[in-house]
Order: sequence, then C-alpha cells, then structure tokens
Amino acid sequence: MASVKFDKSTRMYPGGTKPAVDQLELEIADGEFLVLVGPSGCGKSTSLRMLAGLEEVNDGAIYIGDRDVTDVAPKDRDIAMVFQNYALYPHMTVAENMGFALKIAGVPKEERAERVLEAARLLDLEDYLSRKPKALSGGQRQRVAMGRAIVRKPQVFLMDEPLSNLDAKLRVQTRTQIASLQKRLGVTTVYVTHDQVEAMTMGDRVAVLKDGLLQQVASPRELYDRPANVFVAGFIGSPAMNLMQLPIVEGGVQFGDVVLPVGKDVLDKASGPKVTVGIRPEKFEVSEHGLPATIDLVEELGSDGFLYGRSQIEGADVNLIIRTDPHDHPMAGDQIHLRSTAEEVHIFDTESGERLN
Amino acid sequence: MIKSMRRHWLSIALISPSLILLGVFVYGFIGLNINISLTDEVGLNNNDANFIGFENYIKLLDDPRFHIDIFNTIVFSLTFIGVTLALGLGLAILIDSKIPAEGFFRSVYLLPMAVSFIVTGVVWRWLMNPATGERTSGLNLLFDVMGLDFLINQWHLTPTWGMLGIAVPAIWQMSGYTMALFLAGLRGIPEEVKEAARMDGATEFGIYRRVIMPMLKPVALSAVVILAHISLKVFDLIIAIAGKQIALDVPAIYMWQTTFDAYNFARGATLATYILISVALFVIPYLIVTNRKEKV
Repeated sequence: MASVKFDKSTRMYPGGTKPAVDQLELEIADGEFLVLVGPSGCGKSTSLRMLAGLEEVNDGAIYIGDRDVTDVAPKDRDIAMVFQNYALYPHMTVAENMGFALKIAGVPKEERAERVLEAARLLDLEDYLSRKPKALSGGQRQRVAMGRAIVRKPQVFLMDEPLSNLDAKLRVQTRTQIASLQKRLGVTTVYVTHDQVEAMTMGDRVAVLKDGLLQQVASPRELYDRPANVFVAGFIGSPAMNLMQLPIVEGGVQFGDVVLPVGKDVLDKASGPKVTVGIRPEKFEVSEHGLPATIDLVEELGSDGFLYGRSQIEGADVNLIIRTDPHDHPMAGDQIHLRSTAEEVHIFDTESGERLN
Repeated sequence: MIKSMRRHWLSIALISPSLILLGVFVYGFIGLNINISLTDEVGLNNNDANFIGFENYIKLLDDPRFHIDIFNTIVFSLTFIGVTLALGLGLAILIDSKIPAEGFFRSVYLLPMAVSFIVTGVVWRWLMNPATGERTSGLNLLFDVMGLDFLINQWHLTPTWGMLGIAVPAIWQMSGYTMALFLAGLRGIPEEVKEAARMDGATEFGIYRRVIMPMLKPVALSAVVILAHISLKVFDLIIAIAGKQIALDVPAIYMWQTTFDAYNFARGATLATYILISVALFVIPYLIVTNRKEKV
C-alpha cells in the first residue's frame, strides 16, 4: 500500500487548446478512499487514467509512494483498475479473469487458485468461477471486475465509475459493499464518479473538478458545510443549494424586506455591489417577513417535503427549493416569505465565485 | 389461434419458392450426381447404365492421377490457407495501429478480391513466366534486374512443388479479404479490454497472444472455412495459368476432363462427390459450432 501524489500534473490532448487536466495538485494518504467527482468533461477520468499510466502526463509528475511513476508503464505501476464497462476478458472464465494478472506475474498455480478463491469468497462469486462473463448478470460482472483488482493485492485501486452500469437499487447496495470492502482491505483507492451522492457517501475525502481544474478537496462534511466556491456549492448537495445575487446594504445584504446580517469584514472583500448568497434548502423557514416567494410545486416524499418556488430578486425570477415538514407546509400557489434559519449563510463573490466568509 | 395458423401458412408460402429452387437445383442435383456416381454410365448415348455400388469410389482411390490430385490439393491448401491467414492478420494488425490514410490502404488490399480468378491467372501467368535466358520476363526479370538472382525460379513448373507457385496468386487475391475479416474482428475488441490487460501486467506482445488472438478465434475459424472451400474447389486459376497439366492437376480439373472431355460421367460424378465431401468436412463442423454458440 502507498500514498499517491499528483504534482502539478497536466494533460493536454493533441489538438486541444485547453488542458483536460490542468496542474492538478492532490495528495492521497495511504489507505485513503478518495473520490474524484465533477460533471462530464471535467477531467476526472483523465486524471485517473494518468495515474493508471493509460494517459500521458504532459507536464508535472505523479508519485506512488516515494516513486516517481510519471513515465512508468502501466504494467509496472502495481495498481489495479476497475473499468466502467468492467472490461472482462470474454474468452476466459471468471477464475481465469481474476487470476490473469497473477498468471502473467508468474505466480504458481496453487497459490493463484487460492488467492482467486479467497477473493471469490469475499465477493460471493464462488459458484460462478467456471462461468464465462457472458453467462453472468451485470452485478456479477461488476463483482468479477472488483475481484480481478482485489486478487492482485495492488498498491492502489483505481475505479472508473464502476457502478454506473448497474440499476439504481443495485447501485446503492454495491456502493456500501465497495466502501466497506475498501475499509477492510485498507488499500488506497481513487474512485471516479459523476454522481455527487456516491461521492459524498463513499469517500473519506472528495475532490471536486471542473474544466480540468481542481475546485476543492475536503471531507464530505466540510464540502457540504463550507464549499470553497459557487460551483462546489451548487454541485454538492441534493437538492442543490439556493444561490441568489443580493445587494450589499448597511449591516448585511438585502433579503426581501429584511436585512440578512453579514459581517463587514466579509462584505468588504466583495468585488462588486452585490454578493452571491447560498442557502441550503433545509436552512430556509417560512416566516412573516423576509424574501417573498410564490410556491409553484410541492413534493411530498414522506420523510421530507420540498417546496419549489420562485422569487423576484432585482427584477429577475430566481428558482428556489425549500425543505419543509412533510405534514405542515404551504400549498402550491401560496405567497410566502422566507428567512434563513442559519446564523451563517454562504457568501460568495459574484464576480470570481470564491467564498468570502 | 386462427390468426397464428394463418401467419404460419403465410410464412411457409413466402419461403417455399426459394426452398423449392434450393431443393431441386442444389440438393436434387447433389442426389442425382451421387446416383450417377454409383453407376457405370459412360458416353453420350448410354441409356443402359448399371448400378455398381461404390466401385467407382474404390477404383479412384487406386488411381495414381487421383493421388497426385490429393497431394497437390494438400500442398496448395496448406500453403494458401496458412500464408493467407498470416498475411491477412499481419496486414489487419498494421492497419489497426492507427496509420495515416488507413482507408486507402484498406481499399488497396481489398481490391484484388474484386478480380476474378481467371483474370488473376492471366496476369500472373505473365508475372510468373518461367522462361529463361533472353526470354526472361515478369517477376524473374525483376529479380534479375535487382540482382536477386537466387529468387529466380520455375514457379508453377517447379517439379513436384509447382502448386506452391499456383498458391502465390491465390494468396495475393485473398489475403486482402482475410485482412478485412480480421480487421473487423480487431475493431470489435473494446479498447478497455486491452487497457485492462495492460494494467494486469501484460506486455504488448502478451496482450496479442493472450487476449486479442483468443478473441479473434471465431473470425479465424470463419476465414479458414471460407479459404478452405475455395482451395478445395480451385479450378479456374490453374486453368488460366497453366492449362490442363498433370503436374498441376487437382480433383476439379480431373473431374472436368473425365466428364466433359472423356464423357465418363460416372467417374466424373464420383470425383465431384469426393470434392463435395472434402468441403463438407470443413463446413459442417463449422455450422454446428456456430449454431451451438448462437443458442447459448
């Protein structure tokens, strides 16, 4: 096992004008489960493939442990990868698939069989060892792909959206299985996903990328509580955080007919006359005063209720989502006023998008 | 119920014309041919042919000319199939390695297939002209000019091994097609599978040996069957290059001469049946294997 370090690693695709991954600086501790998350085209898969050695590093370096692997071939990096479509060898049985790397490494037959069986037990695949991938279900194929990585006992696991080909129920189930398996094996893992729920539930830490640039690396808790910029604030959390551009006034920002108190030291940092204020759906409360809003739609999910509304801010319609008590809430069409329950709201610079408080 | 019955009859009615034509002109004539092969029918006006069982078949096995035919067919088939497969695979791998102007090369290699064996034969008869001295021409002249004298040879007139010369144009014609088959197979292998093998520690050669080649097996099998039925029935190419010479004799030429030059219909039919059996030995197991695979 080992740590992983991206040191200003950059990947520029031939013919591209902008790097797919731009000066990525990221350290992953030994045994850590790190999730790379972001919208499609953000460079998360490219980063993973750079670590795998499947993608060239044009600038900067990558270390596994203390070893500089920037120019080392994939086969010599001692890492295992789980692919999105599993990439099983169709002409080999499950056992042969899982033992392939060991066979190439020249591990004796008995030891190979033993290690394959051990991994198969862990993944509940014992009954399928002599089957070909074609005769397996999607979930079983996914587990074989996992098994192929586990058998090798590598320094690092790389997983490229391994759950995206499973149906919703199986995905949730497998999500917890992978996370607990990783804890048990203690192997450093880099996991790529576009699904922020997956990222938040699985990772020890989560790295958010956008347009090839690292936005923030933090624990799921911190990412949720203190997003570093508007992008992370809007990307993490479901339903998404409400973001409003509000004018700065004496003592805070104008929030409907009240003033939302914000420290002067924070507002002094703003580059314009407005700031972007972020409030999570659960931090809103319906009140006599505050931001006026019209409810368009109500969703009752049993445990929660969500109000979808809109508000006129500075002449423009802004959509808002409010989480409420599922049994006692305003109805569609109602005119309400909203206040923030939190002392601290998220304040971002409207120009740069950076967090101010 | 009635509806499904009606549909049932409709489908039978729709496929029956082709079934009837196939039945008469393929299987009917195969039956007729086997029937003739079991008689002593000779000559044009012979209406009193007698049933003589497998006598023709047994006699042919003792026929020295048929021995030459079998030897020639084996030499030709092994060379033609082996070299064509190797060349086709090699070309496919090269073209698959993201070369520039790939489409151009693909067409260039595939084009010979559009030419008939007769045309190929006529061109290659000139290229493989065995004449020596001042009359040297074709490839031998090229070798001479380039100083590669050791390559100059008698081509199809080489004693015993003349069939190797005949195999050259056949390889030229079919290796492009085999390349197209292999290329389609290579393109069907997902990039991730190769990457997975790379991550699993395989060298580039190892990936070909352990992952790509085994995955190309079904394609190779189809290629072998297609090439085998061509080589077992080869006729026009040899006629175009060399005419009817005993040294380059194959069952198809023997059959032609026996039937249409000597009017020995019974023996000709026997030869035809032997050719049919030899092809069936390749095709039938292939069909069984593919059918079984499709059912899984």
